[in-house]
Amino acid sequence: MLDNLSITEKQILERLKTIPDPEVEVNIVDLGLIYEIHHNEEEKSIHVVMTLSARGCPVGDTIMQHVETVVKAFLPEYDVKVELTWEPQWTPEMITPDGKAQLNM
Amino acid sequence: MQAGLSTKNAPSPSVVLPHYAAGAIFFIIASVLLIFASHDLANTYIGPKILALTHIMVLGWVTIIIFGALYQLIPVVMEVKLFSEPLAHISFYSMIIGTVLLSYSFWNNYIGKTIYMEIGGGLIFLSVILFSVNVLFSALKTTNKTIENTFIVTAGGWLLLTVSLGILITMNLVFHFIPKTNLELLRIHVHFGIVGWFMMLIIGVASTLLPMFFISHKLNKQYLKFSYFLTNGGLIILAVLLYFDVNMWLKGAAGLIVLAGIIFFIKYNYDAYKKRLRKKLDIGMKLSVFAFIPLFLTLLFGILTVLNLDFLSKIQTSINTAYGVSLIFGFFTALILGQMYKTLPFIVWLKMYQDKVGKFKIPMPAHIYSEKVADWHYYSFLVAIFTLLIGIFAKESIIIQVSAAAFIITSVLYAYNTYKILFHKDQSEPLETK
Repeated sequence: MLDNLSITEKQILERLKTIPDPEVEVNIVDLGLIYEIHHNEEEKSIHVVMTLSARGCPVGDTIMQHVETVVKAFLPEYDVKVELTWEPQWTPEMITPDGKAQLNM
Repeated sequence: MQAGLSTKNAPSPSVVLPHYAAGAIFFIIASVLLIFASHDLANTYIGPKILALTHIMVLGWVTIIIFGALYQLIPVVMEVKLFSEPLAHISFYSMIIGTVLLSYSFWNNYIGKTIYMEIGGGLIFLSVILFSVNVLFSALKTTNKTIENTFIVTAGGWLLLTVSLGILITMNLVFHFIPKTNLELLRIHVHFGIVGWFMMLIIGVASTLLPMFFISHKLNKQYLKFSYFLTNGGLIILAVLLYFDVNMWLKGAAGLIVLAGIIFFIKYNYDAYKKRLRKKLDIGMKLSVFAFIPLFLTLLFGILTVLNLDFLSKIQTSINTAYGVSLIFGFFTALILGQMYKTLPFIVWLKMYQDKVGKFKIPMPAHIYSEKVADWHYYSFLVAIFTLLIGIFAKESIIIQVSAAAFIITSVLYAYNTYKILFHKDQSEPLETK
């Protein structure tokens, strides 16, 4: 899902690592919540597809707003779309080794 | 934005926050009154002061906070907007005034005879109807029909029945239209309230929140479905048996059906605990996990209360009192103390910072209260609840007074943190530019 990222997409991913999940205080990239990042230079658009660790997460909306703000701050001239998906459903296997280390898993 | 997001559905904080503020004050009042009710509690499970204390705890403390938390939670778990915010406001004030009047009337032993009792009972009835209407009409709009949500809606129905029966009992004191003693009806009232309203609701809410906060996945929802049918079925059978006063073994069997339902709920959440991603529990989860110890005690004392065994007759009164105490002062209180830290900081944090995320340096929800104070009241609460149970079985009011002192410390420290969160000032700072 996050394979074959372009340089810009990788830079976006790095910036998204500054966003913590307020409950677990681990960043959303290492939690495995970011599924896809698409950078379209012609249309000047960025499309982020992400999920949440639980349906009904009380801060889900805020996390998504945070993603939009961070990407906009990095690339102000681009149109940013953050899409929420429940497919595939998030599971703990999606946490990166860094995230697992932070959670003492 | 897609369906399934909660913040857009969340009610105005002015609906939710006053419930937490009022609940903390009622908890302090109940803790102080425990000193004055200590002599009664050492000797009996019913009486003017115990009735007053029980209603302050279950209405002023437990129900008010549950109402507030549900107004926030319903939009989250059901993915709908709350049906009506004005109804929630009226229900809140109605419950506050009703609880004060009713408890004042009980404390002064004015059962069924005073204007305070009539107005207080009426206001509580109004509050409950408005709350139930809000829950049911919100639930009707949801497309997310999970077993957890069904528990919450069913609890609203049982609450209506509980309060209706409470009103019938007080009217029966005057008009005697039901050919039963009030103690017999009271037993049904108490079990509707305890199992139908509180347990049903707590099963629904806890089974939603605990796995979410533990970050647990792949749980077996069949356990919750078994739990639903067993607790509801058992309660209906128990109520019929209590009304017709059928022999104690049948009542015990009905109690065991309810117990089996609660055990399935415990199993579901135990699995969530075992599969949790976060091995280290924060203070909110520590208190929530601890709550299951008084729940076990409640189940044990509850069965012994129903069976009323001969060889335990000397301590039967203490067992009956311990049944209610371990549930209300133990299980409910531990869960509320803990879940406050998992809900209120987020509500205030969202209100203060949701438009500032990513643009300013902001504190995390866990940083807007004192963890040290929370740790202190965790330990003072452990002392308070175990001392209270010891005092009840020893029939020593002085031990209950020691427990009351520990409860006062617990409630004041809890209130300190609650108000620290409620009055949290914006601490956002400009982002450091590189």
